[in-house]
Amino acid sequence: MNRSIPVQAHITAVQPMTDDTTLYTLRCSDTGEISSSDTVASFLPGQFLELSLPGVGEVPISYCGRPSPDGAIELCIRHVGRVTLPLQHAECGEALGVRGPFGHGFPLDDYQGQDLLLIAGGLGMAPLRSLLLALLNQPDKRGKITLLYGARQRGKLLFLEELLALQEQRRIVLQLAVDRLDETMPHPQECRIALLPALLDGLTFDPLRTYAVLCGPPIVYPQLLSGLKRLGMADERIHVSLERRMKCGLGRCGHCAVGTYLCCVDGPVFSYRQLSGIEGALE
Amino acid sequence: MPYIIPHTNFEQMLILLRGCGLLYAPVTDSDGIIRFALLKPGMLPDLNAVRTLLPPKKYLLHPQEAILTYTHEHGYQKTDTEVQPLILLGVHPCDLAGISYLDQLYLNDSPDPLYAARRAALTLIGSSCIPDDLCSCQQNLSPLQSSCDLFLQQTDDGFIVNSFSLRGEELVELFQEILEQRELTVPADNRRFFGHPLRPVPRSEPDASLPEWRELSRHCLGCGSCSICCPTCSCFDVLEFGGLDRNSAERVRRWDNCLLNSHARIAGGVSFQKEMADRFRYRYRHKYRGFGQLQGIPGCVGCGRCRATCPAGLDLRPLALQLEGGAS
Repeated sequence: MNRSIPVQAHITAVQPMTDDTTLYTLRCSDTGEISSSDTVASFLPGQFLELSLPGVGEVPISYCGRPSPDGAIELCIRHVGRVTLPLQHAECGEALGVRGPFGHGFPLDDYQGQDLLLIAGGLGMAPLRSLLLALLNQPDKRGKITLLYGARQRGKLLFLEELLALQEQRRIVLQLAVDRLDETMPHPQECRIALLPALLDGLTFDPLRTYAVLCGPPIVYPQLLSGLKRLGMADERIHVSLERRMKCGLGRCGHCAVGTYLCCVDGPVFSYRQLSGIEGALE
Repeated sequence: MPYIIPHTNFEQMLILLRGCGLLYAPVTDSDGIIRFALLKPGMLPDLNAVRTLLPPKKYLLHPQEAILTYTHEHGYQKTDTEVQPLILLGVHPCDLAGISYLDQLYLNDSPDPLYAARRAALTLIGSSCIPDDLCSCQQNLSPLQSSCDLFLQQTDDGFIVNSFSLRGEELVELFQEILEQRELTVPADNRRFFGHPLRPVPRSEPDASLPEWRELSRHCLGCGSCSICCPTCSCFDVLEFGGLDRNSAERVRRWDNCLLNSHARIAGGVSFQKEMADRFRYRYRHKYRGFGQLQGIPGCVGCGRCRATCPAGLDLRPLALQLEGGAS
């Protein structure tokens, strides 16, 4: 499989999520000659791809949706960088480049029959949505799913309607937190004004049959991890998806080392056991 | 009885080699700098030079090179790069080990097309050397193989020739007229410091609280020279340049450097290696512990270039000795 040359993918849907974040749906072009076009869309939740905006550059983006048989790829992208800022002008039908999938995803086999505690901060919801959809797709293989999700304010909560609907259907237990009140929007019921780690207070779960899966900005990790430890979670039952500057995805460009792991090939999903004691891994 | 190329036949050897491809070797330039350069007819290599400014990695991974081209019609495609047969003469054991390291990184299950093409067209002729005080091959005992096609061992009478590949055999065949068989004791050369069994590298992190880190990073200018001249440093950045026709683009990779503060910076401005000391340890881990698939394989081959180039005169050896232990 050639993962060093991007294959063409066309934007089939553009859905603004917040003032600075967009959900794109891409579909690989069927050129008939590039066999890897199928494989970019067959991924595990937690893996990432390299997205190219022609003439501008390439960025690593986590898969946000479910592997779909028709080759559609969902990517939830915040427009903050050299590539993602110009990307906000991209429209339906436009051709982008994709290569991947890269890295290790979430260990779904380990999660069989277990309760899952997903904790997302901000854009960290994107890769966790991919995991959430995969878990919901295997109802007989999973236990209870709890999602703690925090963002700066109401308008920054991603996939809110989808998550509220899942809660309504009692398929997940959802707890939301925002840092501050947003006067311009209705405040969802039971959304706390608090920092994300505060949602751990009063939470009850069986640490022996639960996996905690975290994805958020680095600033939330220390408090979340100490909270989870306090609640009796073992290091190997805490999984984290890390963000790093992964330019190549192939373990070569040298930008994404965490200790002596390379985030792009050994991660981006790590257990806390792997990362504890590694300078700068979770701060 | 070993075969030798007597000194009197040396220039004849260069002529024969030039017939096989572009011949590069260490040359002392008019600016006094020793570098690998094209050996034009009439030029002699400096095979006694201890180290060139840059290692031969520059022939396998160019400082800046196009890797992909984009057109609206065809999408991204591999850049057509013409690769010519290239012969590197006078590569020291440490630099040969450096190439082995890059081979492991660039020729694994997903080979880099450009590297693979250049590597396949490369003939490596190693030569023996005499280490100076900056070298650390004798302390490192690297697990990396110091492999080449042909090895030339310097003696008073000439170069003892040994072949290690099919291509090496072909060269020996080519050299038939200039080879002589002589009764000689073959001296040990520095290849003996390479290809040692892998020693367990500590899984724990290097102790960041040691005062040496602070001291070293306080003096480090962050210029990145040590990384540029390292045979196993191959970090690269990827840039894309859009064509003025708005319909095409070129993607380029260029040497990057973990000592620069942009190295670990992501969109939004967060850097995972903010402080000089963080970056210093990042490089240390790569050189002494290895990253990713090459975890456990130290990247340092002991060439001493980082020490020779550092404008602040920094030397990681004492710290490495303390943290990794000496050669055993």
